[in-house]
Amino acid sequence: MQKEILIVGLNHRSAPIEVRESVAFEISYLREALARLRAYPAIQEGVILSTCNRVEVVAAAADGRSAAAEIKKFLDEQGARRHAGQLDEHVYAYHGAEAVRHVFRVAASLDSMVVGEPQILGQLKDYYGAAQEAGTVGAILHRLFHRAFAVAKRVRTETGIASRAVSVSSVAVDLARRIFDRFDDKTVMLIGAGKMGGLMARHLQSNGARSLMVTNRTFERAVELAGSIHGSPILFEDFPRYLKIADLVIGCTGAQEVLIDAGAVGAILKERKHKPMFFIDIGERRNFDAEINKLDNAYLYNIDDLQAVAEENLQERSSEAEKAETIVLEEVENFTRWIHSLEQVPTITALRRRFEEIRRKEIERSLGGSLKDLSERQREALDDMTTAMINKLLHDPISQLKNNPREEDEEGILYAAALKKLFGLEGK
Amino acid sequence: MDITFLKIAALFYLLAGVSFVLYIFFQRDTVSKLSPIILACGFTAHTAALGIHFFQTGYPNVTQFREALSFYSWVMVAGYLVVHFKYRLSVLGSIIAPLAFLMTLAAFAFGTGSEALPPELKSYWLPVHVTVAFLGNAAFALAFGVSLIYLLAERQLKHKKMTLLIKRFPSLETLDRLNYVFLVWGFPLMTLGIVTGSMWAAIHWGSYWSWDPRQISSGIAWLFYGALLHGRTTGLRGRKAALLTTFGFCVVIGYFLWGDAIFPSRHGGRFD
Repeated sequence: MQKEILIVGLNHRSAPIEVRESVAFEISYLREALARLRAYPAIQEGVILSTCNRVEVVAAAADGRSAAAEIKKFLDEQGARRHAGQLDEHVYAYHGAEAVRHVFRVAASLDSMVVGEPQILGQLKDYYGAAQEAGTVGAILHRLFHRAFAVAKRVRTETGIASRAVSVSSVAVDLARRIFDRFDDKTVMLIGAGKMGGLMARHLQSNGARSLMVTNRTFERAVELAGSIHGSPILFEDFPRYLKIADLVIGCTGAQEVLIDAGAVGAILKERKHKPMFFIDIGERRNFDAEINKLDNAYLYNIDDLQAVAEENLQERSSEAEKAETIVLEEVENFTRWIHSLEQVPTITALRRRFEEIRRKEIERSLGGSLKDLSERQREALDDMTTAMINKLLHDPISQLKNNPREEDEEGILYAAALKKLFGLEGK
Repeated sequence: MDITFLKIAALFYLLAGVSFVLYIFFQRDTVSKLSPIILACGFTAHTAALGIHFFQTGYPNVTQFREALSFYSWVMVAGYLVVHFKYRLSVLGSIIAPLAFLMTLAAFAFGTGSEALPPELKSYWLPVHVTVAFLGNAAFALAFGVSLIYLLAERQLKHKKMTLLIKRFPSLETLDRLNYVFLVWGFPLMTLGIVTGSMWAAIHWGSYWSWDPRQISSGIAWLFYGALLHGRTTGLRGRKAALLTTFGFCVVIGYFLWGDAIFPSRHGGRFD
């Protein structure tokens, strides 16, 4: 019996966060949930996927329609425990090639809230692993998920979908990476204890920055922030003195006047033997003199510059996403071809069996009659000869059935039907 | 026989160049792994060509200009391959491989076959002098390559206009450090090249220094690179260093190509 792949669930587009939360499956209760899922009669294989942006059930079933109804019921039950109310309007269902495409898109992070975010693949692997442990994965879903992981990898390497930073602080880190090879031997100076600056400092730390100075007009706030991000607080009056040991300088004060002018930076650079400096100005007004960017070995990016790069990257991502969609479509085609080739398997075995039956019967008849004087060796030769004949006769039709390309699927189905009728394979 | 290998090498260099350039535009992992392998194949064929010539004639084929070109590109590719294993600088490969292709192409395009070695060149000094001199020049060629990339990357960062290209570049810090590393290797080799050259000159021409145009030009280049290296140790870095490296190399390679035509020299390896 042919199995169909289907996916039923809700995601960040179809349902608000409260609804998604109420239906979510914690990974620790997954085994139990999977057991409940398997108890439904129409569902033969199943994987539950539950992240903050989606709750979905992927299944393989002989009867897709009733399986979809059962999954809806399953989700309703899950929601009812937390009084989610009616889910119907939020739930979507895809069948066959559409379902395959959906799974591939999810894996490739094309269905994510932030397209190209890298976490989803790991989550998918975790939930697939849990289903595998619970024994709810069969041949079809096994193949589907492994293909999905491969598609995600292909999309990642062949398109730039995940390679571009789209937030201001990740853009800043990205730019810093183009100037500096590593951060662990660099010193960061944070001027102003604002939220944005703290965020950027943390981002730099997670990329390896170790040495960090924090200064603020109100020293207490500098001390406070320095404490939370393992930096050293310095007095606001003192920061120009420390500037010469800073490689990255982040300005995020609300100061009205320019805090660092180009002339001072020029002198500092000389003192530093022109070791490069990167100034990031994210203050409410400009904290750093724009002329700094004209100095050799000094680079200055302000908030507008960073936002412009982020915007550009975002556009780049969406154009890369188009490329990714093409890859997904290609892979869906390959996958459906595989599914269809499974469909042909019963026809092929029936055909072989039929031919073999005829051969045996005819050999028996001949050996009992006109050929009964044949020696043992001759009988063997006759057997070999007829087997070879049948194999040769069947070779072309079978390979035709096995690898008919996608465009000729209709044809493939027609051929199978014709064979069944011509050779009386039906009902045998 | 050696010419056949040389042609094979040129073909591989061309393929490697195409592959390196493709990698910049379409970042495929397979391409990035393939390019250095193709280049290494070219290098092997090139080594065979040089080896065969050496065993047939008993001296390295560097006595004519076109042969010198081929030898130069061989040393340069060797240098690049060594660096590649440490830094994975595919971008530099996209400069070095096409350059190597052009130089090997020139080596057999300007005629083939060796004339008999002039008697004054029959000396053990020949392989020693030529090898160190070209090793030095190859280091400068690599320094030139990273400097070009540095200038391009620095410009894009300053102008805040990032193309896809810059993503494939190493950081400015790495490029600047490599420029320094290549100068540090190149300068002593160049010095050795000049020293061995003048010792050889002392034997064959009778004096260490005879104000031959080739000696003068080498001396000027030596002073230039020496000053550059001294500058680097005292804080010259980044764009200025890259500009000077580029300028120096252009002058040296320009003299290598056309200098002898303008100032005839007794020095071998002439373009004639």
